[in-house]
Amino acid sequence: MKFIIQRDQLMESVQNVMKAISSRTTIPILTGMKIEANENGIKLTGSDSDISIESFIPKEEDGIEYVEQIEPGSIVLQAKYFPDIVKKLPQKTVEIESEGLQVTIRSGSAEFHLNGQDAEEYPQLPQLHTEDSFEIPTDLLKNLIKQTVFAVSAVETRPILTGVNMKLEDNYLNFVATDSHRLAARKIPLEVDTTNMTFSSVVIPGKSLNELNKILEDTQENIEISVTENQILFRTRHLYFLSRLLDGNYPETSRLIPEQSKTVVHSPTKELLQSIDRASLLAKESRNNVVRLSAKENNQLEISSNSPEVGNVMEEINVNSIEGEELKISFSAKYMMDALKAVENDQVRIEFTGAMRPFIIRPIDNDQILQLILPVRTY
Amino acid sequence: MSKWYPKNGRVIFHVDMNSFYASVEMAYNPKLKGKPVAIAGNPEERKGIIVTSSYEARAKGVKTTMPLWEARKLCPDLVVMRPNFDRYRFASSEMFKILSEVTTFVQPVSIDEGYMDITACQHLGSPLDIAASIQQRIKDELDLPCSIGIAPNKFLAKMASDMRKPMGITVLRKRDLPKKLWPLPVKEMHGVGEKTAIKLNKIDIYTIKDLADADTFQLKRLLGINGERLKDRANGIDSTPVDPDAIYEFKSIGNSQTLAHDTTDELTIQRLMRQLARKVATRLKRKQVVGQNVQLMIRYYDRKTVTRSVKLPEYIETEEEIYITSLDLFENHWTGDPIRLLGVTVQDIVEKDEIVHQLDLFTYQKEAEKEPLYQAIDHLTEKYGKNPFKKIEPKSDDQPRTSFQKDFLDDFKK
Repeated sequence: MKFIIQRDQLMESVQNVMKAISSRTTIPILTGMKIEANENGIKLTGSDSDISIESFIPKEEDGIEYVEQIEPGSIVLQAKYFPDIVKKLPQKTVEIESEGLQVTIRSGSAEFHLNGQDAEEYPQLPQLHTEDSFEIPTDLLKNLIKQTVFAVSAVETRPILTGVNMKLEDNYLNFVATDSHRLAARKIPLEVDTTNMTFSSVVIPGKSLNELNKILEDTQENIEISVTENQILFRTRHLYFLSRLLDGNYPETSRLIPEQSKTVVHSPTKELLQSIDRASLLAKESRNNVVRLSAKENNQLEISSNSPEVGNVMEEINVNSIEGEELKISFSAKYMMDALKAVENDQVRIEFTGAMRPFIIRPIDNDQILQLILPVRTY
Repeated sequence: MSKWYPKNGRVIFHVDMNSFYASVEMAYNPKLKGKPVAIAGNPEERKGIIVTSSYEARAKGVKTTMPLWEARKLCPDLVVMRPNFDRYRFASSEMFKILSEVTTFVQPVSIDEGYMDITACQHLGSPLDIAASIQQRIKDELDLPCSIGIAPNKFLAKMASDMRKPMGITVLRKRDLPKKLWPLPVKEMHGVGEKTAIKLNKIDIYTIKDLADADTFQLKRLLGINGERLKDRANGIDSTPVDPDAIYEFKSIGNSQTLAHDTTDELTIQRLMRQLARKVATRLKRKQVVGQNVQLMIRYYDRKTVTRSVKLPEYIETEEEIYITSLDLFENHWTGDPIRLLGVTVQDIVEKDEIVHQLDLFTYQKEAEKEPLYQAIDHLTEKYGKNPFKKIEPKSDDQPRTSFQKDFLDDFKK
């Protein structure tokens, strides 16, 4: 195997593929990165058996040549050293050549010799055979991920909650995540006909979506999503991202979302977010990061926090409107800030149904985003 | 009177009750006076050890922590009693009441000893007079002996109270150090345990004088920051104040117990674990605290000891939660060797008042049913100040056993 490649392109691909490689794996060869060269270009592969990523660098694209002098072949290189080597090479181009299991990396006057492993021993990635595919714009998928994935559970007490529930329903694509203390949901209409698809609900590990979001570019180009019983594949022109799905049924959350409200607040998002952020400065000191919100007369919201050992903070902000009953409620400042950031609108509508019940945050004119937070009860 | 008090500096007492449990028993039953009396944990079992003994028993060689059978061999007419914690608790609180009448700067450190800062008590007389009157009152009113150390700081006061027992009053000034403190073997020093003493001996430190002269860096390498502290103390330096609030600071609650026989029987182990979890849960409840970390200690037949802990996502307090968590730890870390002792400790402790309960999406409806009640409480709180309704905790008859000496401190909290 031999080829000469643009270092920047190689670096980007290496970094993408590294997202799937873990130094702790039960299959030793998976600590390495597979490099394959054929006449069309170079393919890099990384996998930790939960996530597998393939990144393809074409020989040439849009008239720009990325790879030259390709002699086909393949090898597996230690992922511990390869990325840093590529990063620190002196020239814009890199020559990679393998002789048996010996790999030589040249750039300018620098020359590395690395011991590789036989690519034949690298596990074959499963081929997905499914008709259940649809496409959405990449930037929209990134939004769906960003607005939900932060709410997955970080602890394994209920493993299914560490994933994001993806559902197809009435030509809507639904993402829901909850750690049981807060819930984030986003849906978008699908323009394709989904009636023929056999899957309706799967749970994608939150970690996979986080990594995917990091790799995907913010582009309107479509990404193809294919689903099988236990795997999901995201595919763009040069990227192939395969993740296992979580086993088990995702809890039915829709009936837990209150339908009526007793107090409704319309507020500018930024002012509210900043006020909560300020109050949480002291709340962080106590163990819970809890702030208190009181809905008062004259469209005033009072945000306060009290840490006995540090001090307290109180702030009143003017909001657009407060309808319904007076209310005092305490909640995690972090959950509230996460939710307000995910709303992506200047104005929010917050619906409360009582101090011991979940409340809902939505953009003022959009029902496709829903953030729900469970309050805390102070002893 | 002020000539008795230093111009800059403090006058600290350390009041130490003499063989406290045994003395309390003698006060209750004067017939025991003059006899060798010992209080022991569990007279019937192997683990029965001497908790404390009277001076008459000590004269025959009976020592604290000595197994019962050994003590009986040394002193065949030994009167052995089970502890009556209620009596000790009561006597202790009466004793601290007397101390508090002299000054509010009283720091109880365990059930039978405490520090006092009497720097501001010049109007009551010389330190010696005050000490004598405290000792006399405790003798007259409670029929209990105590020793009092008088010194410019807590460490020296503690060392002083140890110098004359029972019923001694000892003044230890800095100028007395070369004659009274330095000749003592280093293991006699407060803060130097058996293990530290062995370490110190290895670098040729045998007396407190050796420690006072030792090289600070060498000590730090050997014992960490504590090495420097010990050297300061050997030189009579101790700046820690008498802190009446110190009893509020506790970070963990744990119980441990030795098994009757070294065992690998999982049923026996689980039963002991259950007992320990119950004891810890009871103590957490008494203190109205919850914890977020559970530590398990396993001591094997060969005295090899391991501790393993786990941090939990939520605060816990119940027997069941503690039991399940410690059993988990056990299953993950037990080597399978015979076990001699188990210990369960809940760490990262906070007062219940300080924490809040995060409601759960899947269970909130149960909590929400109590909403009107909480609203009413909120309302009244605003009107009358902090929560007038506390969950009423059933007063338990459970006597805490081990670690009693620290738990008693709760009695002194407001």
